[in-house]
Amino acid sequence: MKALNLKCMLWAAIGLMLIGGCDKAPSMQNTQPKSMANVVGKTSGTQDDQAYTPVVPGYKFEFPRDHLTHNGFRQEWWYLTANLTTEKGEQLGAQWTQFRVALKSSKQSIKDTLPKDQSTWATDQLYLAHSALTSSTTHLAHEKWSRRHSEFADVTLNPYQIRLDNWRWQSETNALFPATLTVENPDFSYQLKLNSQAPLQYQGDNGYSLKSRDGQVASYYYSQPFIEISGEISRNGKVERVTGQGWLDREWSSQFLTKTQQGWDWFALRLNDGSTLMLFQLRDQSPTEAATNTPISAFYSARRMFADGTGRNINSTDNPNDIQMTPLKWQHTVNGDYPVSWQVRIPSENINLTITPLNPNSAMPLSTPYWEGPVLLSGSHTGTGYMELTGY
Amino acid sequence: MKNKQLTKAAPTKLESRSLTLTWLSLKVFIAHYRHAPLQAGAILLGIALAVTLLIGVKATNDNAVRSYSDATELLSQRADVLLTPPLGKNSLNESVYFALRTAGLSQSLAVVNGKISGKNGQFWQLEGSDLIAALTLQQSKNGASAETSPTSSPQMNHLPLAELLSGAPTVIMSQSLAAKVASDGKLILENSSLDVISIDDSFGLGSAILADISLAQQLLNMQGQLSYIAMFSERADLPQLKSQLDALGITPQKASFSQQDQGQALVALTRSFHLNLNAMSMLAFVVGLFIAYNGVRYSLMKRQKLLVQLLQQGIERRALMTALMLELVLLVVIGSSLGFISGLQLSHWLQPMVAMTLEQMYGAHLLPGIWQWTWLFEAIALTLAAALAACLPLYRDLTRQALAQGANRYQQMQAHRKTHSIQFASACGLLGIAALLFPFSQSYNISLVLLGTVTIAIPLLLPQLLHWGVSALMPLARPGLWQYLLAETRELIAPLSLAMMAILLALSANVSMNTLVGSFEQTLRTWLETRLHADLYIRPPSQRIDTIQTQLMHDTRVSGLYQQWQIEAELSLPASAKNASEQTIPVSLLSRDDYSVRHTSALKESLPTLWQSYFNAHVILVSEPLALKYQLKLGDNVSLNALAKTGNSQAIIGGIYYDHGNTRNEVIISQPLWQQAQLPLLPISLAASFHGDKQGSKITETALDQLQIELAAELGLSQAQIYSQTKIKTQAIAMFKRTFSITLVLNSLTLIVAAIGLFSACLMLTQARQAPLARLYSLGVSRNALRGMVFMQMLIVVLITCLLAMPTGALLGYLLINKITLQAFGWTIKMIWDWQAYGHAILIALATCTLAVLLPLYWQTRKPLVASLQQETL
Repeated sequence: MKALNLKCMLWAAIGLMLIGGCDKAPSMQNTQPKSMANVVGKTSGTQDDQAYTPVVPGYKFEFPRDHLTHNGFRQEWWYLTANLTTEKGEQLGAQWTQFRVALKSSKQSIKDTLPKDQSTWATDQLYLAHSALTSSTTHLAHEKWSRRHSEFADVTLNPYQIRLDNWRWQSETNALFPATLTVENPDFSYQLKLNSQAPLQYQGDNGYSLKSRDGQVASYYYSQPFIEISGEISRNGKVERVTGQGWLDREWSSQFLTKTQQGWDWFALRLNDGSTLMLFQLRDQSPTEAATNTPISAFYSARRMFADGTGRNINSTDNPNDIQMTPLKWQHTVNGDYPVSWQVRIPSENINLTITPLNPNSAMPLSTPYWEGPVLLSGSHTGTGYMELTGY
Repeated sequence: MKNKQLTKAAPTKLESRSLTLTWLSLKVFIAHYRHAPLQAGAILLGIALAVTLLIGVKATNDNAVRSYSDATELLSQRADVLLTPPLGKNSLNESVYFALRTAGLSQSLAVVNGKISGKNGQFWQLEGSDLIAALTLQQSKNGASAETSPTSSPQMNHLPLAELLSGAPTVIMSQSLAAKVASDGKLILENSSLDVISIDDSFGLGSAILADISLAQQLLNMQGQLSYIAMFSERADLPQLKSQLDALGITPQKASFSQQDQGQALVALTRSFHLNLNAMSMLAFVVGLFIAYNGVRYSLMKRQKLLVQLLQQGIERRALMTALMLELVLLVVIGSSLGFISGLQLSHWLQPMVAMTLEQMYGAHLLPGIWQWTWLFEAIALTLAAALAACLPLYRDLTRQALAQGANRYQQMQAHRKTHSIQFASACGLLGIAALLFPFSQSYNISLVLLGTVTIAIPLLLPQLLHWGVSALMPLARPGLWQYLLAETRELIAPLSLAMMAILLALSANVSMNTLVGSFEQTLRTWLETRLHADLYIRPPSQRIDTIQTQLMHDTRVSGLYQQWQIEAELSLPASAKNASEQTIPVSLLSRDDYSVRHTSALKESLPTLWQSYFNAHVILVSEPLALKYQLKLGDNVSLNALAKTGNSQAIIGGIYYDHGNTRNEVIISQPLWQQAQLPLLPISLAASFHGDKQGSKITETALDQLQIELAAELGLSQAQIYSQTKIKTQAIAMFKRTFSITLVLNSLTLIVAAIGLFSACLMLTQARQAPLARLYSLGVSRNALRGMVFMQMLIVVLITCLLAMPTGALLGYLLINKITLQAFGWTIKMIWDWQAYGHAILIALATCTLAVLLPLYWQTRKPLVASLQQETL
């Protein structure tokens, strides 16, 4: 109980992804009247939020600077999912995410008022990381927390590395690739060599990714959906060679959901025509709507991407009805019920997919519970991918 | 009223006749108590008081013991392994922690801790850890332990992590401590003002101040350093963990590996303390039961006629007996429940006191109190068993009495006299056994049992001695009322004896405890006088000690500079007849400058050639507690791991020195040996003496105060880092007064319980004697003469008891000092008899007795004479 509550406390303190993981968190979602959301710049209603750097259109990405942290923004993540195959042909999914959370916006930073000879431990940034390995029968997941400390949890250059204790993305240079991702846990580990020749893909409007219909919430978001992977995984001490494809998402923002948004369903899909599809819906339902069983109104966003760096955006704002997502099957897991199988139609892209999970029990029983695991595609295209379901 | 009920009930013929009769008798008894609430009150009071003290101490003790085994890293769980500073160091480099984290040993917690000076020179324990690691360490072992943890606390949600992690001047405290020391939310430490966040006591911070490591390292001046690393690992994984550490290059040169014992050491260390508390509570329990028993007996006496009447009415003896027992059960349950509630309250008051003692003596943190229903049931069971054992003979006698009314009073008296002489004989026997066995007792456990024997024997002596005392007074009395007075006093001994036994017990215990505390204080004072020779004692932060030492060396005002070095080490005893295997004892290894060692070690015993050999050879001094605990003798051969670098870790014990007030094991070696062993060269504390105004004179108090302020400014130290000799003495004595405060409080409580017992016994007795007194009054004795007589009678009994309390108190005090304390703590104390405490205790007894006599006499004067004459006689 204690440990859990303390974690709830942490979640509450950092205000990240308020998706009902802890009993306490939801109270922070629905205290503000809806009209508040209409006031520009005050979408989340607290003064605290205003002090974080806002996400505005027209940002010029620059690398390797933007591979590093953006401490002025409230949250940020480095998110790798991989669909792997062992030498014996077994299908697996691997996930590694490192989150950064600012405890205080840079504008309010206390650091400035402190004496100059302050401790190397002093920080206003918190990291947490998740790792998982999924087969059709098992799903293993772990979590690590840390304060930022240059010796064991940070994102740095020369060469580029993202690390928290012994989970580490280690590039050979200051570029993202080639790199080695090492994750070690008592029951599973993996060491994956990552490489990619394809240009980065900027989601939304050149990396400005809207997260609500009213345009109040957005993030900076770029991806590398074409990563070649080879390496080793180890399950309970048994080492196997694997190969496969990976997908990296980089995203940072100061607010991710509006007050009424409940969570999201996010897909990273690799189609057999060589293209990839990023697709998410943010489910919007105020507590009163939920109480009266009003159907969920969702905000959709998708991007069809090609290895040459080109791509096409589809979103609710421009094409309100172009994306149709229907849950087909629900699965009861340790975290609760999740829609683990979906029908996805995007007529303008000639896409009509049935998405099924490799393992329907891919719930992540961590501080914030969610579902994340590899999926298989059928219908207009075949292929593999990853699905993330939050806020259930 | 009684008869009315009976006649109404008599014709009712029910199948379970005996049950009905029991029920009826019970109803009669309840009616009796309604008629005489004082009697029921006295019994309930006795039981409630007994249970109050029993539960109060039990709750306090249980909670302390639970705290040891549940003690966790602050805000986290219990550590399994500690990585502590390597031998000879006071801290370990934080790079060790980074190596652990980078290697994936994420279940580790970096901790810095230390004493830090506050506003008035008082020291606080500051604990600093990586708060995020502390808060998020996985409960990896089992989910079960999670259930015992406190439920969510709203305060934790408001922890300002941003401030804490960024090294802002913010510290966390338990609510109750914050309320005491930082009611305005501010605390001054090391000359900086800190914001205080208070969290629920259930997080177990005790009286520690918690800070994030970013702030704590700064405040403690430990940048880049850690006090220890707590690691969390399954027991089975420990060997693997060790090899992992080896692989990481974390060798004993970098950090010492020590497995945690889940609080066993602390439980063992504090056992004597808790045993003492338990013994005190049992004493109080017994005293309380005396009162209850006295009450039961009195109420039975008052009901003697009624019981005979009931028997005459045809109530079966068995039914009567059952009814009496049911009555007792009822009284015990009610009394125990009352006592349970007040006991929990008492424990609530005692716990801060105990926490203080435990923290100062053993460095143990106490968790907030819990209580259990089982305590109530235990209390009821214990009280019931004791009450039944005590009252059954009474009941049996009563229900067996002849139907023809009126037991023969003379016979009764004879029976009492016989009992009293048997009691005296057994007391003598018990004392004899104790006297025979005491010289052979080596451990305080056995001594405590023997002490218990003596404690039981003391009150048993009393009735017979009272008889002899009163008889001795007889020839002195003038004929007439005076002789009547004394003759009647002898009659009063039997009904008063129980209350007097209780008060004797309480008085003896009180006098002995006060003697112990007083003697200890005096011994400590004398010892401090020898121990402290310098004018000022300085404990600068470790990294500045070198400069300060040099500065003082060149200061012309300084007439002498003294140093002390200290590290933690291990002393090994060679395998001997007693210990089959080699025994390793953790000790504090000290060294002092030659002058200090020669002149300030209060030696208990030493080899004749100690000082010649001390500076040249492997000769060590050990503290008295260490010597006593492990039965070390002069000339014994031991080995010290810290001496390894001299090529010979063997050493000979050359002297044993008094170390009052210190429970840790201490060893002193000479400076040459210290240097030879390549132990840290920087001292941990300095002391300096100063020139007076005139050549060769001592510096005056006022000049010293001035100098202290000057030096603090010159050396850049806070006032709290410089102590004058007087200040140390005052503080040491104040601290040890607090250490004993819990025992003294319990003792006073016992005395109060006994006084209440005496009060109720005197009260009931005087009430019962209204008939004979009224008779005397009608025979022409004036009211004043009567009052004087009754008072005199009580006074004689009380004074004889008090007189007896002197030798018995002294005896108990002697045993406490020379056996129990010596064996439990290892401190030789010179016994000093405390007349003041003795007088104080007697005064309480006399005052109680006066009040208890005067009150019923006063009531009596307000009643018509006939009413008193009609009272049933004793």
